[in-house]
Amino acid sequence: MPDSPSPYPAFTRRDFLATGAKLGAMLVAAPAFVRAATGSQTLNVGLIGCGEQGRVLLNAALKIPDIRFKAVCDIWGYNRTYAERLLGKFGHEAKPFEDYREMLAAVPDLDAVIVATPDFVHAEHTNAALKAGKHVYCEKLMAHTVEAARSMVVTARETGKLLQIGHQRRSNPRYQHARDRLVKEAHLLGRINNASGQWNRAVTEDLGYPAKYALTEDKLNQYGYANMHEFRNWRWFKRYAGGPISDLGAHQIDIFNWMLGANPSSVLAGGGVDYYKNHEWYDNAYVIYEYPTPTGIVRCTYQVLTTTSAGGGYHEYFMGDEGALKISENPKYTKLYREARAPEWDQWVDKGLIGRPGSGEGAPAPVKPWEKPKPKLGGPSKSATVDVRETAELSAWDIPVTLDKAIHQPHLENFFDAIRKDTPLNCTGDQAFASAVTVLKVNEAIAARTMLTFKPTDFVV
Amino acid sequence: MSESPAPTAPRVNEYTAAFLLLRLFLGLRTLLAGVEKFESGGKYTFENYYANMTRMASGITGASFMPLWMTKNFAHSLGYLLIIFGAALLLGVKTRCTLVLTGLLYVGLSFGLMAVQESEGVAWLAIHVGLIAGALVLVRHNRFSVWADKS
Repeated sequence: MPDSPSPYPAFTRRDFLATGAKLGAMLVAAPAFVRAATGSQTLNVGLIGCGEQGRVLLNAALKIPDIRFKAVCDIWGYNRTYAERLLGKFGHEAKPFEDYREMLAAVPDLDAVIVATPDFVHAEHTNAALKAGKHVYCEKLMAHTVEAARSMVVTARETGKLLQIGHQRRSNPRYQHARDRLVKEAHLLGRINNASGQWNRAVTEDLGYPAKYALTEDKLNQYGYANMHEFRNWRWFKRYAGGPISDLGAHQIDIFNWMLGANPSSVLAGGGVDYYKNHEWYDNAYVIYEYPTPTGIVRCTYQVLTTTSAGGGYHEYFMGDEGALKISENPKYTKLYREARAPEWDQWVDKGLIGRPGSGEGAPAPVKPWEKPKPKLGGPSKSATVDVRETAELSAWDIPVTLDKAIHQPHLENFFDAIRKDTPLNCTGDQAFASAVTVLKVNEAIAARTMLTFKPTDFVV
Repeated sequence: MSESPAPTAPRVNEYTAAFLLLRLFLGLRTLLAGVEKFESGGKYTFENYYANMTRMASGITGASFMPLWMTKNFAHSLGYLLIIFGAALLLGVKTRCTLVLTGLLYVGLSFGLMAVQESEGVAWLAIHVGLIAGALVLVRHNRFSVWADKS
């Protein structure tokens, strides 16, 4: 009897395996399909490094809509538990991991990873996350060596994933207003010839740790740390980081490059370990850069002092022949100054770019509502107070743009927007690489006790 | 019989001089306090006066329980009254009566500042009221008046 044709199509072992593989792939990709189908913009995020900076970023990111933390990773259970509990309070069920490799393998539907670990493992963590198909936001300084930083840029290029480095001033609306509107559009500073920057910070005690939560020596060694003290105070030790010029200076030196639209051609620096007895990195540094710009050389000084809060806090100061811009993340250090020789600025007030002298932040107490403004007095005669070599006094104006969010939030928003909407990043790996080269050369210059030069190719990957 | 000289009353012209100084100070202070209310940006005009006084009235009302009609009426008459009283004190026009009215004006002004808890201004005005009270004690030694009080 001839075989009657089967009512069902033939289903071979090969067919079974192929179909199974397709179904498996669909299951893995299902969350992405569902998000795409429903138009959901929620991004799944993992955090590597739950220490102080990790917590700062967590708190800033928690204020951003449609972000879901699904994993946290830290080699220290004490930090990990803190982050896990913090996220739990906000309804995020983040799985804790000690090893980033486990995290990347166990939570495959992460869209992005935030790296807030010590500098010496930035490249390792960032490259692994990029290779796992995640977009990465990595804290500055992007790496403790130029080669490590270069590897991050290369990996981002090879994987096609986004890499944002945490130079958050670039996303601060006041900084953007200052650069894009005041300097570039209105040319309020005229020709910029000089700049200075500083971060003066009082003596800080080394970080301690609860003895019962101390990591074992084996565990510390496994992850590259010599001991618990160095693990907690890694910023001061050469094998983990670049010292204060990297921790504090990187933010502001990056702003030199960003504001001037150039990289330096040389650096001269002095510094030393003059105060702290148990640190390796220079606790104070003075730096002079030369920036070749289309309008001429801009000479910039930078100082980072870690034993005094005197001298005006932290700010960057750009000085041109018609005006000067003093800018900081702290609005009280921010001011715009007009040289007496500059064209009138009233038109820029009318256009909303700047505020009149005496208005806004840092202005003297306003006249009470029932008081008549007092007439201005002449003050002491000029001949009695002004040396003939003094030039006319600057007038102080205000920048009417303030940031009403956590200082890292706009930079994280920019990163997440770039993932969702393909908008440009404010600090790509390439841009941050140039800043890393600029910053790391300072430590070389201090050690060499001589002026070092840069080639344009040094800043390019 | 004591050989020490009998106490003598201060000579009349010392009291006269003391009062005259007070009268001059209070007259100038009151007059100029009125004149400055017309000033704005270095210019003295009636327009400035009403702008300044309206600001004062609405400022006090905005920061206190007092209605605008009350503060506005007081403020709009304040400058003129200060000028009239100041000039009257300088010229010596019914000085006793003028001192009392000037004192009442300063008390009224103090009341407004008390209502907005402007302690510093109240303290300044208290000094003025104290000087006027002292002047009233000495007013019987008033001389050089164009229109003297009835004795």
